[in-house]
Amino acid sequence: MNYFPDEVIEHIFDFIASHKDRNSISLVSKSWHKIERCSRKRVFIGNCYAINPERLIERFPSLRSLTLKGKPHFADFNLVPHEWGGFVHPWIVALAKARVGLEELRLKRMVVSDESLELLSRSFASFKSLVLVSCEGFTTDGLASVAANCRHLCELDLQENEIEDHRGQWLNCFPESSTALTSLNFSCLKGETNLAALERLVARSPNLESLKVNRAVPLDALTRLLSCAPQLVDLGVGSYENEPDQESFVKLMDAIKKCTSLRSLSGFSEVAPLCLTAFYPICQNLTSLNLSYAAEIQGNHLIRFIQFCKRLQRLWILDSIGDKGLEVVASTCKELQELRVFPSDLHDEEDNDTAVTEIGLVAISAGCPKLHSILYFCKQMTNAALITVAKNCPNFIRFRLCILEPNKPDHTTSQSLDEGFGAIVQACKGLRRLSVSGLLTDKVFLYIGMYAEQLEMLSIAFAGDTDKGMLYVLNGCKKMRKLEIRDSPFGNAALLADVDKYRTMRSLWMSSCEVTLGGCKRLARNAPWLNVEIINENENNDLMMERNEEDEREKVDRLYLYRTVVGARKDAPPCVTIL
Amino acid sequence: MEKGGLELEITELRLGLPGTEKMMKKRGFTEMIMTSSGSNSDQCESGVVSTGCDVEKANESPVAKSQVVGWPPVCSYRRKNSCKEVSTTRVGLGYVKVSMDGVLYLRKMDLGSSQGYDDLAFALDKLFGFHGIGVALKDGDNCEYVTIYEDKDGDWMLAGDVPWGMFIESCKRLRIMKRSDAAGFGLQPRGVDE
Repeated sequence: MNYFPDEVIEHIFDFIASHKDRNSISLVSKSWHKIERCSRKRVFIGNCYAINPERLIERFPSLRSLTLKGKPHFADFNLVPHEWGGFVHPWIVALAKARVGLEELRLKRMVVSDESLELLSRSFASFKSLVLVSCEGFTTDGLASVAANCRHLCELDLQENEIEDHRGQWLNCFPESSTALTSLNFSCLKGETNLAALERLVARSPNLESLKVNRAVPLDALTRLLSCAPQLVDLGVGSYENEPDQESFVKLMDAIKKCTSLRSLSGFSEVAPLCLTAFYPICQNLTSLNLSYAAEIQGNHLIRFIQFCKRLQRLWILDSIGDKGLEVVASTCKELQELRVFPSDLHDEEDNDTAVTEIGLVAISAGCPKLHSILYFCKQMTNAALITVAKNCPNFIRFRLCILEPNKPDHTTSQSLDEGFGAIVQACKGLRRLSVSGLLTDKVFLYIGMYAEQLEMLSIAFAGDTDKGMLYVLNGCKKMRKLEIRDSPFGNAALLADVDKYRTMRSLWMSSCEVTLGGCKRLARNAPWLNVEIINENENNDLMMERNEEDEREKVDRLYLYRTVVGARKDAPPCVTIL
Repeated sequence: MEKGGLELEITELRLGLPGTEKMMKKRGFTEMIMTSSGSNSDQCESGVVSTGCDVEKANESPVAKSQVVGWPPVCSYRRKNSCKEVSTTRVGLGYVKVSMDGVLYLRKMDLGSSQGYDDLAFALDKLFGFHGIGVALKDGDNCEYVTIYEDKDGDWMLAGDVPWGMFIESCKRLRIMKRSDAAGFGLQPRGVDE
């Protein structure tokens, strides 16, 4: 192939889209490396501190689309201080300075400021798509700049961000000439929405396929929106506490009936049961349904709705659906591929009879042969159930089980759940992501290390007995990329056993474990290509580096380490010490 | 499992600094209660104790599970936006119930979306469709209504006295009350110590 002109090789490379494959290609030869990097349009950076923007731009001058991830996953659960880092600003500054023709930016768990958004909107003339997931630090003023200045904006997708809502007129900032929108999601905005501006925008966007509004869009406005956008494929609705009157209900249902392309439905932060029935006409077409924010809906309404959704592939629901409801899902949704069951009662305020158990999980596994991803919060589990699930569904790629009460054993035998999870990893040869919970000893990690050959991400909480547990995983799981552990008795011996292992991983998180400051310091000395971060909000961290022998035995509250080619970051806050 | 020994441990209040337990024992789940960040003093006083390191003992305090930081592992966005979260009165940023004398239905409002007392005044006016609540906040004595709030200790305080940040951290619910009724209500005097 080296006898082909570069343009031909480049053309061939155009067909290769996956990041993994392109990374592999770039390792074949010097000339392939050059052709690949000069033609690369899309880059994914799983840890924004593993590389810096200057080196990124140097390597990939034709960059069009950048994905960046910032804070570690456990930041979702308030385990990472707000000011930890993950700022996008330096990236935007560098990309703007180098005049990169950026068209697409996707960020997850990063800190974004209005200043960043303003700079973004003015620096990239062809900018088309902004996707922000679990980000924070900006306000609707920043959105206004994006709306006003990005002439070619097609996609503005805001998922689960903390956005300060200035209740301004950001929707008005889309110029009248803006007609290219294909996707608009502002469901996470908390304030009022300018309904007139929204309706005008939707009316002049004939290519709009995905629209997700926030809770402040009332029923009659929704009806008008659907009437001018019957081509919608993906709809997120607002909050409808009150039952609609007869006339509004009929109008809504008529508008919905015309949305024959609708495949995905979400929103419903509050929804009166009658409102839900207005959507019956399109249920049979739905492939994706997210009712996981509708906490006030009782199980029977959910069940009735789902009975019409025979083509569902993805379902996100609350555990108020109950085991009985999951049995209905199992018998109705034969195409189901992904299921997430979230807890509805986070404060343990009720004696929760309707929470789901192992019964629901087994029913789903028996009824849905195509199931490959599950996130399941439940109040109890048994080994027998997990063994059955493993037999029914050997195709799991993602298996995340969260038993609400930590350390809870098999409720019928009082034993640990080692055997149950062992069955899962043994049967599911393609398993890439696993979260374990309940009472677990070192044995479950022996099984994981032995059988989970494709495992890339593992989440552990309140599990294991000794360092052996963690060692089984580090030694056995060759494809491990992200390991996150909390409240488990793993210490320095496990941490330090195989330092080179961390070269093959993106990151390791350990909080409330047994690792000590001394152990972390030793690791940092032996692995200069790692950033070893100690997070401690209660300490004066300047003192930490001057600790004497005694204090080296002090346990580290939170440890986050990751491989990097650019050394210690300079933007760490006082509560973070980089060893 | 020694039941007798366990009972004694339950009555043994440990008021040592959080973290001193760590070095000695493998962490049982219930130790989380003593050492979860941010509210250690509150939880020490409630008398929940560490019952030792045996993993088998750990499922004896199911009531504590919601007090562990970051457990269950539901992302904070979902926690803030799930309705049950909204309908229980909770301390800190987020939705609080607002009642107004003479109005039949409670409203809910998101304190986190207001920037200060002026903003709150405006928001309250809008919520009830009523001009003048805002005035009550700003111009203490000249208005028919007063705005009071219940703080995390259960005391009712006059809104507007403490710095905004402190207010939104501790406000559990709001009430717009007729001034004439307020006199006998038992409001905490201004400047009361925590």
